[in-house]
Parts: sequence; structure tokens; C-alpha cells
Amino acid sequence: MNQLAEEIRVGTLTLDGEPVDFREGETIYEVSERCRREVPTLCYDPRLEAFGACRLCVVEVEGIRNPVASCTTKATEGMVVRTRTKTLEKHRKTLLELVASENRDTKVDELSGYASQEMNDLLVRYDARTGRFGGKRSGTSNSKDKNPFILRDYDNCISCYRCVRVCAEQEGDHAINIMNRGFDTQIITEFNNDLRDSSCTFCGQCVQTCPTGALTDKKAIRAKDTPGEIKKTRSVCTYCGVGCSVDILTKGDRVVGIHPAMDGPANEGALCIKGQFAFDFVHHPDRLSKPLIKQEDGTFKEAEWDEALQKAADGFLKVREKYGNHAVYGVASGRAPHEAAYTMQKFIRAGFGTNYIDNCSRA
Amino acid sequence: MTDQEIIDQWKDQDAPLLPVLHAFHDRDDYLSEEAIRVISTGLKIPLAELFGTITFYHHFSRSKNGKATPRVCTGNVCRLNGGKEMLEALKSEGATPMPCSGRCDDMVPVLHGDQVLVGSDANSLDHRATPLPAPNPGGSEECVFRHIRAEGRHTLAGYRASGGYLGLEQAVQGSPEALVEIITDSKLAGRGGAGFPTGVKWKAVAEAAGNPKSIVCNADEGEPGCFKDRAIMDHDPHALLEGMILAAFATGAHRGFIYLRYEYPETQGILQQAIDEAHAANLMGDNILGKTGFHFSLKIVRGAGAYICGEEGSLLNSMEGKHPFPRNRPPFPVTHGFEDLPTVVNNVETLASASHIARKGAQWYQGLGLGDHTGTKVISLSGDIQRPGNYEVPFGFPLATLLHDWAGGPRDGRTIQAVTMAGLSGGFLAGDDLEVTLDEPCIRGKGSFLGAGGIIVFDDSRDMVQAAHDAMAFFAHESCGKCFPCRIGTQRLTERLNDSGGDLALGDWKDEVEDIGSVMKATSACGLGMAAPLVTESLLRYFPDAIETHLSCR
Ligand SMILES: Cc1cc2nc3c(=O)[nH]c(=O)nc-3n(C[C@H](O)[C@H](O)[C@H](O)COP(=O)(O)O)c2cc1C
Ligand code: SF4
Ligand code: SF4
Ligand code: SF4
Ligand code: FES
Ligand code: FES
Repeated sequence: MNQLAEEIRVGTLTLDGEPVDFREGETIYEVSERCRREVPTLCYDPRLEAFGACRLCVVEVEGIRNPVASCTTKATEGMVVRTRTKTLEKHRKTLLELVASENRDTKVDELSGYASQEMNDLLVRYDARTGRFGGKRSGTSNSKDKNPFILRDYDNCISCYRCVRVCAEQEGDHAINIMNRGFDTQIITEFNNDLRDSSCTFCGQCVQTCPTGALTDKKAIRAKDTPGEIKKTRSVCTYCGVGCSVDILTKGDRVVGIHPAMDGPANEGALCIKGQFAFDFVHHPDRLSKPLIKQEDGTFKEAEWDEALQKAADGFLKVREKYGNHAVYGVASGRAPHEAAYTMQKFIRAGFGTNYIDNCSRA
Repeated sequence: MTDQEIIDQWKDQDAPLLPVLHAFHDRDDYLSEEAIRVISTGLKIPLAELFGTITFYHHFSRSKNGKATPRVCTGNVCRLNGGKEMLEALKSEGATPMPCSGRCDDMVPVLHGDQVLVGSDANSLDHRATPLPAPNPGGSEECVFRHIRAEGRHTLAGYRASGGYLGLEQAVQGSPEALVEIITDSKLAGRGGAGFPTGVKWKAVAEAAGNPKSIVCNADEGEPGCFKDRAIMDHDPHALLEGMILAAFATGAHRGFIYLRYEYPETQGILQQAIDEAHAANLMGDNILGKTGFHFSLKIVRGAGAYICGEEGSLLNSMEGKHPFPRNRPPFPVTHGFEDLPTVVNNVETLASASHIARKGAQWYQGLGLGDHTGTKVISLSGDIQRPGNYEVPFGFPLATLLHDWAGGPRDGRTIQAVTMAGLSGGFLAGDDLEVTLDEPCIRGKGSFLGAGGIIVFDDSRDMVQAAHDAMAFFAHESCGKCFPCRIGTQRLTERLNDSGGDLALGDWKDEVEDIGSVMKATSACGLGMAAPLVTESLLRYFPDAIETHLSCR
């Protein structure tokens, strides 16, 4: 952790008394993370450009009078850095007490969103007095926004602007921004309209990066009172060929929500509206749970898989016998993952000896 | 002009957003939803971002006829002089309050569209020129105000008559390095508040890689109790222009901008006229003074009401049409300034001083200070004092002499209870500390700083807790909202000074105020949040009894 290979090492600094190597362009925060210093943060999301809002990540650097924000300060040769002095820890605690004082709730349900526990975890870690610093609360809940996916409960917003930045930097959508200034800042869409009337694509990334649950996943939070522990199962979104990694949240045998996998190689924490919010089909009463076979009179009859597959195979064979190999044309679903797409083309090419294989999303 | 004509006029120019917003705001008297949509498309700025940025500025109106409705200064000086009563009296015309608008040496200013009226009450409002500094009461040698009182000094002919542009003519005979050396040797340091050595700044930009470079004059003058830049620009505009042209020569910059605060509409006209004259006389434009390759042109960018836009990173973001939050530092503007290219950002007074120094030399300027101090500083003096106004003092000059001898002392029958430093940013000085000399080492020794040189006087009739509250309320109003300690801290401190933070016992009150203050000083992202707690810190230092009385009377 402290030593890097010669090819990537550009310098060494002293971190809490220990010599530590750093890479080109690394910030003090990144070096500290690599060395497991657990510097607290609230406005930080490793996918976004460092912003420098919460100031929890401040560290002392010898020769600089004030502590510096480690997330925005690059490591330099010979720097002497202290990440956890008594003074720093006191400032952090005061900052946390200040930020807790602007919110209605500091504890929110885990189902609110991926990062929703960040603030409360820090309040607990620092034993912060949440009732200190009485006064006006900031942010106004926008509960009149009737979209079915995102609860905009800005009474719990701490103006870290992670939502605004993720929307611009990751989703490229620029749907939300900052209105007013100072204690009056609000997160808004253009002209302070509803999300539906903005360029929002409901990708949900703002929800998942929000450290307080001010933005809450309306679909997931329905299961707040459902008994049981939340279990996370790593999987791949079934909707399209991109293959976004997801963590499926379940309580008992019910899917209650979806989290994007921050380490998903294809998506790095991003999802789209379908992968994020459209999971109700899983338990929907209309969903087919058994194969159906169409009868002569047009009605369907429930069947077992063996029977259904046999029926389908017979159909294919009959077509081939009667009209030849090229009478079969395979159209793979755009929702199919790699493996299924591969199997499909194999089925058509090797099974029927034709190259008539295509994909439904070809324009 | 049609929508499209406005967009076309600006869209390919540098720093187009503010001029475009002003063009619509001037034409329609407000920024309509339709206008905002047109601008978003025309300048390719996402709608939500543009909308958010517009709401950041105090003076852009989004309701019909909004620009024309009067804005009354209820700033920290004007509220001592009837500003709030003026606001009440003009309420029927839809008047709204504005923070200090840089005219604290006069009666209460009211912005009517693009005209500043001043008066002691609603019936006496009248349009008149910015007060000229009184002749130096001590007869001490001046730099910035040296010729400002000369007849016609604001015209090119008048400026030249008292030696104007000789410094520039001298400088272009030599090398840019030689000019940088003169400025460095003079020990001129930034007069906008931070006091960074000007020669070092120019040298850094001259040596920085990347083109085109820019010279940006910071004429945002938003600090309450500061009105010196206005006097310089209104009465001696060519001194500023000459300073900028010199900076351009020294650094190789070809483009310049004056970021002028919204509240100075007349100044914009004066500056534009001076720029046009300078262009016509080949003091600007291409091959200046016949020197091949020396090109420099200048334009004015009008702000829209945001104190933080005087902070250089915020100013640059504002010019670039971004949300005007301060920038994270490093990197600094000298390497990553306007459009991330090398940029000099200098205050009006700094640049005006440079033009005198270029002409009269480094030794001359150094010699103007008292004792070991070098140079002079313009002090904007206002509040409870007989003769408010701008005074140019040598560094090291006793505050008491300025207050009592030069400015006539307190009003009749009153004594001076406290003064602010650096406008409001330095907090208060009181008691024995009123014996300071006006220079950074002395004033910093008292836990304050001289900064841009605004001094507001509070006499013994004033409630200092109220004064501190009003100062903190200003910072809360102007906090940009980027960083937690300042965004929340200025609000909580204001609440502690007006008791809306709950019923706190004295001990808890002090505990909270001190903890908030120390976290703001140590961790705020820019100077606003770092300086604001000096107000409460100095209140606790000088007026502990007033706090106790205040808390026990509620
Ligand atoms: C909150 C804040 C407000 C400022 N306002 C001004 C201003 O109105 N005018 C100014 O010249 N400098 C202002 N400054 C200082 C600028 O950031 C910058 O240091 C200055 O313009 C540099 O010019 P100088 O070196 O000539 O002083 C402000 C700084 C802060 C932190
Ligand atoms: S859901 Fe996605 S597109 Fe909509 S505001 Fe959030 S991040 Fe932006
Ligand atoms: S809604 Fe959440 S992510 Fe957005 S600024 Fe507020 S606290 Fe931060
Ligand atoms: S200190 Fe205040 S004004 Fe400066 S960046 Fe922070 S919030 Fe903005
Ligand atoms: S994480 Fe560095 S300021 Fe928030
Ligand atoms: S002009 Fe009103 S307070 Fe300065």
C-alpha cells in the first residue's frame, strides 16, 4: 500500500509519520484512501471531479497555515501530511454537528439509496451531537413532484451537490442544478419544475449518490416496513446487452430494490431507468410463470417445460423439413446478455446451418 | 434588437454570458422564461444550469418590470443613515433592498434602472456624481489620488495634462522585464484585500506557458464600506486603463477585462468613453504606441450583484458563464485563470498605483510609506464620522490621526466606540486597539486585517451586538453556498446574534459561537468564510458585556 512499483511512482510524502509513495496526479485523499486512513468525506464520490464542499476531508500539511481539503489537493514530493490530529477531529465533529443541524432527519431507511447512510454513519462515528446548533433548516422538500421514481425530500439535503454533479458528469444530462446561494441553495430543475418536465432520464444516479437520503428511491422505499433483513445479490441487469452489474436487494423472497454496482465493469455505478426502477415485473401477477401452449382454438393451455420445449423443437424441425435450412431466421433479443446471444447464434448457425441470425435492436 | 441579434452579437466573443443576460435584462426589463430558453440554445448552456446561475445573482429580475423597480441600499453603513426608512418609503414603488452599493460616503443610494440616486429620504433623491476625495488633509504626498482632483482628469486630454500615459511611454521604450522589475522593487502589493506582491504576480504570468493571456481588473468592490475603486474609476479612469496596458506589456497579454459591479452603472459609461479615447489615440488596439506586436484590447463585463464574484476564482467563473463558486486552489489564476490560461487579476487601486509607479519609479513609491512601510493605501472611511470619504494615507499612518484630525472625529457629543477593518471582513477594533497604525503587520497583530481599506465607524450610540448581527447577516446573504462551514456557519452565527438559534445560556452561546468560528476560519474554502468569524471573535473580545446584556434581556 505504501510502496508503489518504480514505473508508477512519482514521489514520496510523509503520511502520519510514514513514508508513502504516490502516483502522477494523485490527490492527498487518494493516497490516504490507498493507505486506509479513513478520512471522512461527504461531498466525495470517486467517480466525480473533486469538489471541495464538505471540508471534512481536511488534513494538515506542514508549511501551510490552514488545513487543506485533501480531495482537491494534489500530493507533492516531500509533503508532510497529518490526517487525524486532535484539532482536525474536533473540526470534523463541529462540521458534522453543523450539517446535522440543517436537516429534518439524520437517520433514514437504508432502502433510500446506495449512499444514504453515509452521513449518519459519520455522525455515529464522531459521536456528533445532532441537536446542537439550533436554527433554521435548509432545503424545502419538493414532495409535489409526482414522478413515480424519485422522492425529492430536500428537508434532508445538505447541499453537497453530488446529485447535480453526477447528473452532469456521469449521465451527461444536466437536468438538475443549484438555485440561489448560501443557506438558501436548493436543488432544482430549470424554472424549478418537476423532474418529468426536465431533461431527466430517471437514471437514478442522483438517488444512489445522495449521502443523506434526501433523494430517495420511491420504488424501493415501499418495502420499508416489510419485515426482514435486506440481502444483496450481485447480478447482471436483464434488460439489455450492455450488461450493467447490479446488486439485487431482497427481503425474504421478494425483490425490493436495485443498486447499481459501483465496481461493475460495464457501468461503474450507472444504470438506466429500466435497470434501476423497472423491477416490478418480477412479482407481477400478470407475469407468466409457466409455459403456455396455444391450442387449435386459439386459447392457451398451461404446460410443463419438457412438453413446451418438445413442441417448439417439433415446430422448428417441421419448418426445416418443408422449406429448407434458410427458412429459419433468428432474431436475438437486445436484452439478452452476451452468453445468451452467443448461444442463440450457435443454435441458428450450428443447429440449422444458416447465417440468418440478427438482433432486434438493429436499426 | 431581436433575440437572435443579441445572441449573434456576443456568441463568438470572449465572456459572452453576462453581456447577453444584460442585453435581455435591459431590453425587456427582466429575464423572461422565453429569453432564458433562447440564451440556453444560443450559447449552448444547459437550461437548468443557466437558470441556476441566473438565480445566483441578486440583481437579475425574473418578474416583469423588475429591472426598473428601485433597489435601496440597506447596507451596513446606510442602515445607520436611514436606509431602512428609505426602503419603507419606496415600498409602494416596489422597492427591494440591496446590500452595500459602494457609496457609503454619501447619503443613501437608490438604484433606479441604470441610474444611482442619492438622498437622505425619499423626497430628496437626486442624481449626482461620485464624491471626489477631499484634498489630502495632512498634506502628505499621494500616489493614487495625486492628480485625481485636477480639472478634466477623466478625459484623455486632462489625464495627459497631468502626466498621464508618460509612464506607459517610458515603459515601452524598455523591456517587459524591466517594467516587472520596477513594479517588484516598488513593493506594490494587491489592494483588493489579499496583499499579494504585484510584481511577483505579473512575473508569474509573463513566464507562464499558454496563450492568449488576460489582464482582469477586479472592479467588483463588493465589500461593505469600500468605495475607493468607484472614486478612482469615475474621476481617474485612464489611470486604471494605463495600469492595465502596463500589465499587458509586462506579461504579453492581449486581452483585458474590467469586471465591474452592477451597482456602478454610470461608471460603465465613464470607463467605456475612456477606452474609446485610448483606442483612438493608439494607446490600445494594435501595435500600441507604434510598438510592433504590442496588442491589447479591453472590454467591460458588468456583474449582476454577488459579493463573492469579487473573489478571483468566482469572478473568473462568472466571466466564463459558469456558476460563480470560487475555484479550488491551487492552481492559481496566474497559470489557470480566464479560460484556464495565464491571467493577472488585479484590483483597481493596484492597477492605478502601477501607472504612477511606472512614471515616478520604485524608489519614489517606496518612500511614500512611513518608517519601514512602503507606499500608500486608500482608506474608505464611513459611518459615524464627521467627514466620511476616501483618504489616501501612507502605510504606517496612525488610525487615530485619520479619524480625529483628518476626518473631524465623531459626531458632536459622541465618542467612537469601534471601527471595522477591511470593510466588514476584518471584524471590529475597539478600546486601546483604536491606537493602531494603518499597516498589515500592526493590524494583523490585533487579530484583524486592513484588507481593501474600508473602515466603518460606530459611535457610542450604537448597539454593537446589532452591528455584529448586521455584519454577519451580510456574509450569510453573500455566502455562495459551496462549502459547509461558511454556508451553515454564517447562518448559525447570524441566528446566534439575533436569538433565533434557541434560548442559549451564555456559556453554551460562547461555546457554539467559538466552535463555529474556529471551524470556519480553519476549513472554509475561500476568504469569505475564513474572515466572517472575525466579526464574532472581535465582538467577544471587545464587548463581552454587551453580549451578556443582550442575552439576559431577551
Ligand atoms: C470574498 C472575497 C471578496 C473579494 N472581493 C474583492 C473585490 O471586490 N475587489 C478586489 O479587488 N478584490 C477582491 N477580493 C480579492 C481577490 O480575490 C483578489 O485577491 C484580488 O482581486 C487580487 O488583486 P490585487 O492583488 O490587486 O489585490 C475578494 C476576495 C474575497 C475572498
Ligand atoms: S435521475 Fe439521472 S438524469 Fe434524472 S436528475 Fe437524477 S442523475 Fe439526472
Ligand atoms: S439532494 Fe442529496 S446529493 Fe443532492 S445536494 Fe442534497 S444531499 Fe447532496
Ligand atoms: S467560504 Fe463561503 S463564499 Fe467561500 S466558497 Fe465557502 S461557502 Fe462559498
Ligand atoms: S470530501 Fe473533500 S471537501 Fe468534501
Ligand atoms: S452604500 Fe449603503 S452601505 Fe455602503
